[in-house]
Formats: sequence, C-alpha cells, structure tokens
Amino acid sequence: MSDLLQNPISLILAIITAITFLLYLREYNKRRNLESEGDKFLQDIKKKGWENLHQSIKKSQEILGEAELEGIKVIAGSEVELSKLENEYSKKLSQSLETSRRNIDAAQNKLMQFMADLQKKSAEFEEASKVSGQQRINQLFDKVENKLSDFLVQTAQKTSSSIELELKASRQLIDTYKNGQLKLIDENIITMMEQTLSLVLGKKMSLNDQLDLVYEALEKAKIEKFIA
Amino acid sequence: MEEILNIILKNTYSLSQLKHRLRILKSNLLKTFFGGENQTLNSTTQDLNWLESLPENFYRKFTKDNIYQIFADLEKKISNLPTLAMYLTFEPNDTTLYQVGSVARKTFNYPSLILDIKLDPNLIAGAALVWKGVYKDYSLRAKVENRKAEIIEGFKKYLK
Repeated sequence: MSDLLQNPISLILAIITAITFLLYLREYNKRRNLESEGDKFLQDIKKKGWENLHQSIKKSQEILGEAELEGIKVIAGSEVELSKLENEYSKKLSQSLETSRRNIDAAQNKLMQFMADLQKKSAEFEEASKVSGQQRINQLFDKVENKLSDFLVQTAQKTSSSIELELKASRQLIDTYKNGQLKLIDENIITMMEQTLSLVLGKKMSLNDQLDLVYEALEKAKIEKFIA
Repeated sequence: MEEILNIILKNTYSLSQLKHRLRILKSNLLKTFFGGENQTLNSTTQDLNWLESLPENFYRKFTKDNIYQIFADLEKKISNLPTLAMYLTFEPNDTTLYQVGSVARKTFNYPSLILDIKLDPNLIAGAALVWKGVYKDYSLRAKVENRKAEIIEGFKKYLK
C-alpha cells in the first residue's frame, strides 16, 4: 500500500481498472434486462399466434361443414331436376320422332309421286324428242340437199368460167405466139427482101443510079439540117 | 498555112485522099530540097497530075527551113477539119469521089468539108452519114425499113 501511494502511476492504473470493472458490470446488467424483456415479448407473440391458429381451424371446420351441407342440398335438388328434365326430354323426343316419322312418310309419298310424274314426263319428252329429232333430221337432209345442189351449180358455173378463162388465156397465148411468129415472118420477109435487093442492085444498079441515090441522101440531110 | 491547106483542099475531098496527097507532096518536096531516091513514094499518074496541077506560087511557100514545120502544122490542122463520115455501098474512085465531094460541099455550103468514106454493103444503095457522132441512115435500106408495113401488106396481098 505504501508502495501504491508512493507510485502515482500505479494508483491511476488501479483507479481506471476499478472504473472499467464497474462499467462492465453495469452493461452486463442492462443486457440481461433486455434479453429477459425480449423473451417475454416473444412468448406473448407465440401465445397469440397459437390462439389465432386455433380460431382459424375452428372457423375452417365450420365453413367446411356448411359447405358439405350445402353440397348435399344441391345434389339432392339436382337429382330431382334431372329426373324432371329426363321425363320432359323423353316426352319431347317421342313427339319429335313421331313428327319426323310423319314428315318422312309424307316426303316418301311425295317422292313416289314425283318419281311417277318424272317417269311420265320422261316418256313424253322421249316421244317429243323422237319427233323433234326426226323433224330436224329431215330438215338437215333438206338443207344438205339444197346446199349440195347450190354447190354443184356454183361449181359448174366456176368450172365453166374457169374453162372460159383458160380458153381466153390460151387464145391470147396463141394470138401472142401467132403475132410473134407473123412479126418474125415479116422481119424475115424484109430481111430477105433487103438481101435480094442488095444482091440484085449491087450487080444491076449503075454507078450513076448509085450516085443519084447518094445525092438524094445529101439533099435529104440538107433539108433535115443534119449538118447545122 | 491556111492558104496552103485551102489549095490542097480545093480538089481533095476525102480524108484518106488528103493524107495520101500530103505524103506525096511532102515526099516530092523533100526530094526536091534534099534529093535522094529513098524519100520518094510510088506515085501514080493521078498523083503526078495532081502535083502538076498545083500552082507555082504554092511551091514557093516551101523552103528547106520551113518544110517540116509546115507539114507538122498541116497535120495538126487536118485533125481539126470538119469531117463528114459517109457510108457507101461501093468504093468510089477519084472521079466518083470528086463528084460526091463537090456535090456535098455545094449542098451543105461547106468549102473545106472533108469526107471520111467507109463501106457498108448492107445499105443496099444510097448513103448513111455521121456528123459529130450522130448517125443517120438515108440509104435504100432505111427507106425499106420505113415502108416495111406497106411492103408487107403488098406482099401479103400478092400471096393471097
């Protein structure tokens, strides 16, 4: 102790240690109080949760019971309605079947009637067609006969005109040939005449006559002003 | 030059006659001026007569110095002379040529007209002329051609 009093640093350290110990104790107490309060709060919440759960289960069971009751009621009502509907349906079905059978019978009768009419009309139509066909064939034959007759007449006329044209062309050809030949003959006559004249006059014509013809040629050239 | 040519043309009527006479004249003059036998041509009596017919003053125009020049000029002149080509059926002698030539010059009033005589026996008789490239047939053949229709008609009548 005397040592402590004598050394101030040791004293200060001892005081700080004591204060720290006291603060630790204080904090420890505070934490313990807080933990106990939290546990208590959690216990309350847990308790309330269980209560709520029990109430919910109870209510659910009540609802389920009511629902089952209602379901049973509905099923019972549905069965009654269903039997009622079945009766009505079978009744209406039988009525419909009856109506349908009547309609089918009527339709069958009508069909039979229609078929009979059709057969009758078909026979009539066939007869009419036969008559009409015969008439058309007769008309066709008449037309063919007329056209053939016309065609033959036209052909005869065309042939006649064609032959006439051919004859005309042939005649023209013959005439052309004839004229050509005649022209050729004429040319030959002239050539022969010229040759004969040339031969005869060359020998027989006197020089004076030749000169006279030359003078005549010069005179003619002068008249024609050949030398301008 | 004109005078020499006019004297020559006075009684020369055809182109061949003119060329022939020029050759004779030239030959004769060359012989006169320069002598020698080689430069003469075989001249006929007619040629010699023609040479003698030329006047004295005509020959005086020629000298030793100008003879070649004159003949060269004459040849040029000849090529430019008016020439009438005449087709005949006979070959004319000098007399006939004189007759035909003088009548032609008189008829056309063309004193220097030269005839270019050609033979065409097909003409039968008469003449055909060519002047500046234009041919005209005045022969008997042309007359026959022109009256061909009448002749044929007459011939046909005769045949009937």
